[in-house]
Amino acid sequence: MKSLPAPAANRVLRTRWSFRIALTLATVIGVLLGVPPVVSAADPDIADPELERGRQIYADQCLSCHGEGGKGETEDYEKPLIGDASIGELAEIIADTMPEEDPEKCTGEDAAAVAQFIYESFYSEAARLRNRPARQQLSRLTGTQVRQSLADLYQHFFAPPYRMNERGFNASYFNSGRWDKKELKVERVDPVLDFDFGRESPVEGVEPTEFYIHWSGSLQVEHTGRYEIVVESTCSMKLRFGHHDHVLINNHVQSEGKTEFRRALSLIGGRQYPIQIDFTQRKRKTELPPAKFSLRWVPPGGTETVIPPENLIPSTLPSTFALQTKLPPDDRSYGYDRGTRVDRQWDEAITAAAFEFGAIAGQELWPQYKRKHRQDPDENRARLRGFLEELATTAFRAPLSEPAKKLYVDDQVAAAEDDLLAIARSCLLIIKSPRFLYPLLDHDAPHSNRVANRLALVLYDSLPSDDWLLDQVRKDAFALENGDAENRVRQTAEKMVNDPRLHGKVMEMFFDWLHLDPAVEIAKDPEQFAGFDKAMILDLRRSLEQTISEVFWSDSSDYRQLFFKDRNWTNARLGEFYGEGWIPSGESQSIELVHSQPSNNKTFGVLTHPMVMSRLSYFDATSPVHRGVFLLRRVMGRTLRPPNEAFTPLDAELHPMLTTRERLELQTGDAKCQVCHSKINALGFPLENYDAVGRFREQERGKPIDASGGYISRDGQEHKFASAGELASFLAENEHAHRAFVERAFEHFAKQPLAAYGEQVANDLVKQFRDSGFHMRRLIVEIAVVVATQQLDQGYNNEST
Amino acid sequence: MNRRDFLARMGISGAAATLLMGLPSLSLGAAAGERRRRVVFVFSPNGVIPKHFWPDQQGENYDLKRILQPLAEFQDQMLTMKGICNRIKGDGDGHMRGIGCLLTGIELFPGDIQGGSDTPAGWSMGISVDQHIKNQLQADAATRTRFGSLEFGVMVPDRADTWTRLSYAGPNQPVAPISDPYQMFDKLYGQAKNRQMLASVLDDLAGDFKRVRHALSGEDRQLLDLHLDLVRNVEKELQTELAAATKNDSLAEHAVPKLPANIEEQNDNMPQITEMQIELMVNSFLADFARVGSLQITNSVGQPRMRWLDINEGHHGLSHEPDSNEEAYEKLIRINTWYAEQVAHMARRMKETPDPSGHGSLLDNTTIIWTNELGKGNSHTRDDIPFVMVGGGLDFKTGQAYDFGRVPHNRLLLSILEGFGMPQASFGNPDFCGDGPLTGLIA
Repeated sequence: MKSLPAPAANRVLRTRWSFRIALTLATVIGVLLGVPPVVSAADPDIADPELERGRQIYADQCLSCHGEGGKGETEDYEKPLIGDASIGELAEIIADTMPEEDPEKCTGEDAAAVAQFIYESFYSEAARLRNRPARQQLSRLTGTQVRQSLADLYQHFFAPPYRMNERGFNASYFNSGRWDKKELKVERVDPVLDFDFGRESPVEGVEPTEFYIHWSGSLQVEHTGRYEIVVESTCSMKLRFGHHDHVLINNHVQSEGKTEFRRALSLIGGRQYPIQIDFTQRKRKTELPPAKFSLRWVPPGGTETVIPPENLIPSTLPSTFALQTKLPPDDRSYGYDRGTRVDRQWDEAITAAAFEFGAIAGQELWPQYKRKHRQDPDENRARLRGFLEELATTAFRAPLSEPAKKLYVDDQVAAAEDDLLAIARSCLLIIKSPRFLYPLLDHDAPHSNRVANRLALVLYDSLPSDDWLLDQVRKDAFALENGDAENRVRQTAEKMVNDPRLHGKVMEMFFDWLHLDPAVEIAKDPEQFAGFDKAMILDLRRSLEQTISEVFWSDSSDYRQLFFKDRNWTNARLGEFYGEGWIPSGESQSIELVHSQPSNNKTFGVLTHPMVMSRLSYFDATSPVHRGVFLLRRVMGRTLRPPNEAFTPLDAELHPMLTTRERLELQTGDAKCQVCHSKINALGFPLENYDAVGRFREQERGKPIDASGGYISRDGQEHKFASAGELASFLAENEHAHRAFVERAFEHFAKQPLAAYGEQVANDLVKQFRDSGFHMRRLIVEIAVVVATQQLDQGYNNEST
Repeated sequence: MNRRDFLARMGISGAAATLLMGLPSLSLGAAAGERRRRVVFVFSPNGVIPKHFWPDQQGENYDLKRILQPLAEFQDQMLTMKGICNRIKGDGDGHMRGIGCLLTGIELFPGDIQGGSDTPAGWSMGISVDQHIKNQLQADAATRTRFGSLEFGVMVPDRADTWTRLSYAGPNQPVAPISDPYQMFDKLYGQAKNRQMLASVLDDLAGDFKRVRHALSGEDRQLLDLHLDLVRNVEKELQTELAAATKNDSLAEHAVPKLPANIEEQNDNMPQITEMQIELMVNSFLADFARVGSLQITNSVGQPRMRWLDINEGHHGLSHEPDSNEEAYEKLIRINTWYAEQVAHMARRMKETPDPSGHGSLLDNTTIIWTNELGKGNSHTRDDIPFVMVGGGLDFKTGQAYDFGRVPHNRLLLSILEGFGMPQASFGNPDFCGDGPLTGLIA
């Protein structure tokens, strides 16, 4: 299902969607003579006499245009007959309009019967799910999975990452030009690195004429993408990044005029990159320059800023690797990345990635392995073989068979006298191998390997590489004979969940869910919204990230809090712009974000967050349509077809007296628009209190905001809301929304359709989610358990539908 | 059958052959014939022993002292230039200004690197002459090459400071030499090498695809088969490509050089590393990857221990010994003689390699300029900086020994530019350029 294009990025108000159900769009007359009735194999319960009647009518009057099973593809009607209208609505439309050449022909009970048949056979979402051959498809690794798997393959030779709550960088201040324990004067955590010491002493006890500061920690990255690391330093400085031997910036020599250093890097969301900085003011006969140091960055889609405290961790985490090779985007036609296509461009990118990894393996992993295995015998290059075997075993997520060992290790060692060349050859083969690229191609692997493989794939988009997990595998801890195998899997998943790699995948899910792409620019009318600039948008992004992290990682990890939180993460600048709900509760001087004072019914978690509201708005006005569609599709899990025509919203200047709500009602008032827009508008209107930058407003064009709206559920139940608050409560508590969230989480984590696992699995997950108090981390654990256990029972040859 | 005959029988011109065969290195020059002028700077540290370095006789019938003896076979193609003085003052100690101003002819920025004496300093305030020549060459399509210039190092310490950088792309922009021959190899041939490697593993990879596909159902098998087809296609294309390249290589008599394996960057491997770097440089000229080069042996104040000459002390330490220390004095002569042997080896390799442009040997079109940051180690003088040139890249009369008395070295930098056909009114600090290039050098 395609998502709406983002309106906020467009200066010109180009398109607006209007929605019509497929049936009303039939344009060409169909003639129905002599076509034998065909019954699709997927037809439900054909014994039902009412359905049988509907089937007959369809065959007689509809099939020639709409095709077998409503799939269209006829000369007269190309599109499949699918949609979201109820049986009653369908019946009404059919009675009024169908068949097109003679709308009087099918009315009353006939129309009702055919509507029911259509609805239950192929039109409704449920029917489509039933008909969809929802099988677990063999997939190659997606781009994200390649990046994550290589990062863990690298990290396997060091140590796994871990989660830390502390923030900032460790700092050691020395009264000396170098590391000298005796002269260590101050040890502390600096929340950010942005200093202008001038010619003064940086801390007490340290001479301003000569000092050395060592900063160490790790950079926590929230989103995958291109980052520019920027250092401003007026003194001698060296910055190591990712690995102790990798000097990213070397300004050993302070030289007048050379004070800014920029390096662009691709980094991976959820990963932490160790950083060590040596900053030295050297004693000299000549005049000292004022000492200045600032660690800044330009994150994807952002603007240059001091790296904020939440991205700095005061611990040097294990060495890590980020692939710099650009990989082509993956298929997202199902709403999540799938590795279902192979083509030349992708193959070439994988080859480039394999060379890149091979070089790093030679430079950084091989010396590390040699250090660890100093004592091992090295006859016939046994150490090199040992290294490559460990690399292949980890990459393939399974023990190496003899023929595989020969191909991936021994033959490559024999082919190259030079160690680095042998490593490059071996890595090229390993990374291009189907054993690495197709993670579920593991039928021959022991059961415990397969379980661990799925857990790592679901939770981290990666491969099992942590020693403790590989130990479990070696002990065959997940063997089926083991009575409590499922519980062991669950305990393992619980342990794995508390990990920065999961955090990365979770953040990706929420940004995806909220329709936010960190790299996409949001532009607003600078006259109407002065101050809403790139720097503020970056603050808002950080604010949203912190809200999500806070809710997700809290003890209750309660989904409903996403709609109930009545405070925001804020700072002075945001407080000034957004007012109530954004006033910092305490001191907020630095770049650090703090909790706001609670708002009085103005803040409802992520729902009303300006990052979300501004994205679902136009350049200079709100868009209840985008907001409504977002809620219908992404929060309520409903299906909408895009309109066949693009509509431009009515020009506000031509209707100076009308509010946005009134203009939209005017434009979509037509009955055929109302089929969809009655649902869309009614969900979008309750958010009208939040303007195009998400700022709370009481009035528009001098008139008070009318925030009333409503929702009619699939089962026909009507709900009314008078405000955003009532809407938020509804979304938090509604069972359909819960199911939609479970499905979205499942597909994001498993990269397979939930339907492929059967209706029972879906029902169980929803029930478990509700019973756990909507505990999101537990939901993810259960998803991992389902994938890691159930799939194995079915086996891969089973083409179940 | 020579190449010209071959091309004639094929019915194609040299230029067309270049196009067909796709590599710039394959324009063998027979048809085009434009001369390819080159210049290489060789740096060795810590000054020399002047008495055993500079000829006593000037002019054509000059004598070769002990240190320059290894270059005897090139005496006709050589120039020794006494009396060149690095007059640049300002921040930085003698060694720092010695290397940092050597090719730039301009002061160092104020900074925080404190040497053994004088004031601390940062990087050079200007571009070096090699990079300037490179920029001029790269600006013209007729002389543009893949890299323009290549900076080789031998055991240059892995730290960026004023003593380790000879070449500058501009103010505050030191150029790091590549000291690891394998890294240089990757830079030069990485792509070709990777494609060869890829070609050599794809067949085995395809075999493994077949092994894993048996367990799959029909639909899943389709994806894997599609993938396997892709692997097979790439393999086929690579084979064609490599077959063509091999054919071309044999024609051009230039192939990717083969380096000995697993040579670590360690003091005792210096002779081997130097040889590997020279081999890569000669080959990159043959392939026309660049027309400007430098070979920086260690660094200003370099401390190689030439154990292969039975000298266990570091070079810089020895260079501080007074002349009265006969043992040290003798060792310094032998150390410098070893450097001369490296220059001779480079010149010899160029002499025995025909220039692909068709004009004589590589050496006929390349001038090697061997220099140093100091005139003499124990006095730290920057007067009488060693400048010895070998080869015919510059339009200079060769087979000469000069003594210019005491001229600023900026004038020699101007002469180099003039000899390269890129005359300039000044280079580096203009205060030292007033008298223009040295006179009487041009043939």
